[in-house]
Amino acid sequence: MAALPAMRPLGCLRSLVRASEPIQPFVNRRFISTAYSKRPERVPLPPNMPEQFLSQIPLRFRPDPDREPLKIYPAPPSARKACKDPVGAVTESQLAVLDPTGERKAMFDYRRNPRSVKTGDIVRVTFKNGDPFNGIVMSIKLRGIETSFLMRNELTRVAVEMSVKVFSPNVNSVEIVQRSEKKRRRARLYFLRDKKHDRRSVENIVASYVRQKKAFLGGGNRRR
Amino acid sequence: MIQLKQTLLNCIDNSGASIVECVNVLKKKRPATIGDRIVVVVQKQRSAGSEATTAAALASKVRRGDIRHAVVVRVKKELQRPDGSLVRFGDNACVLVNKSGDPIGTRMNGVVGQELRNKKWSKILSLAPIHV
Repeated sequence: MAALPAMRPLGCLRSLVRASEPIQPFVNRRFISTAYSKRPERVPLPPNMPEQFLSQIPLRFRPDPDREPLKIYPAPPSARKACKDPVGAVTESQLAVLDPTGERKAMFDYRRNPRSVKTGDIVRVTFKNGDPFNGIVMSIKLRGIETSFLMRNELTRVAVEMSVKVFSPNVNSVEIVQRSEKKRRRARLYFLRDKKHDRRSVENIVASYVRQKKAFLGGGNRRR
Repeated sequence: MIQLKQTLLNCIDNSGASIVECVNVLKKKRPATIGDRIVVVVQKQRSAGSEATTAAALASKVRRGDIRHAVVVRVKKELQRPDGSLVRFGDNACVLVNKSGDPIGTRMNGVVGQELRNKKWSKILSLAPIHV
């Protein structure tokens, strides 16, 4: 049907179609240029074109009355604009719940507070459920709400290390039993694991502290 | 991290074994941790120095080369608790049990992990002097 002589002149439409594709002149080309040339605009089909000529146009260029225009939805609202620093916001809200007075935060903020717990101190931690744990503080990790400290002790001649989250609601109290004798130059005292530097058990130091405290508070009748 | 062919554990009960080797981890495809049941071979007896005819050796319920079940009670690899705290021990240790899960020894020396409670090893917990 396309070969009908009457439709021959319509062959020129093909050239129209071809014109819509990007033109890349290859005259005297010796190198690849990355120069950007604007894509030529599509030439519209002639208006009032008889319908039977459409068969000569490639399918993708034929006008389609049924096709709806593409719907373009607006981008969803930016979460970044709504909350600039979500991690900071969560930390603050959690701190407000778990540590309203800021007491615990100050107790472990060894960079700012000179009276805080420091590495090398012997501490006693009591829990809401379970026995208290004593130990020498090996490291304090300041990580916002995740702040934790690592204690080391020896129970029945077996080394035990325990890391506790400072703001855990399970932690009842943290007491400093003894300050380290000398100023520690390291932030993390992992060398305490070596045989040479191991402090072994701190149980008797803590036991004497507890005894003293009981005597001071009057027979231990008062509860902490 | 207790697994086949690599782990020698201290046996901390009075069953007579002092060092045992893990040969299998039961009900688990991963390395064993506190509260897991394992199969062990007794490598060293507690009364290794004395003769086999002494009373101590006769009292020991296991011998070198025995294959027994055991429950891990301490591990070097740190364990995380549900509240975010970590616990790490200085050695790997276990307690021998029989097929029905009762401990073979009658006494234990040394701390054990508290995870035993969640895994229904309260018999071992009641024998232990301290749990952490």
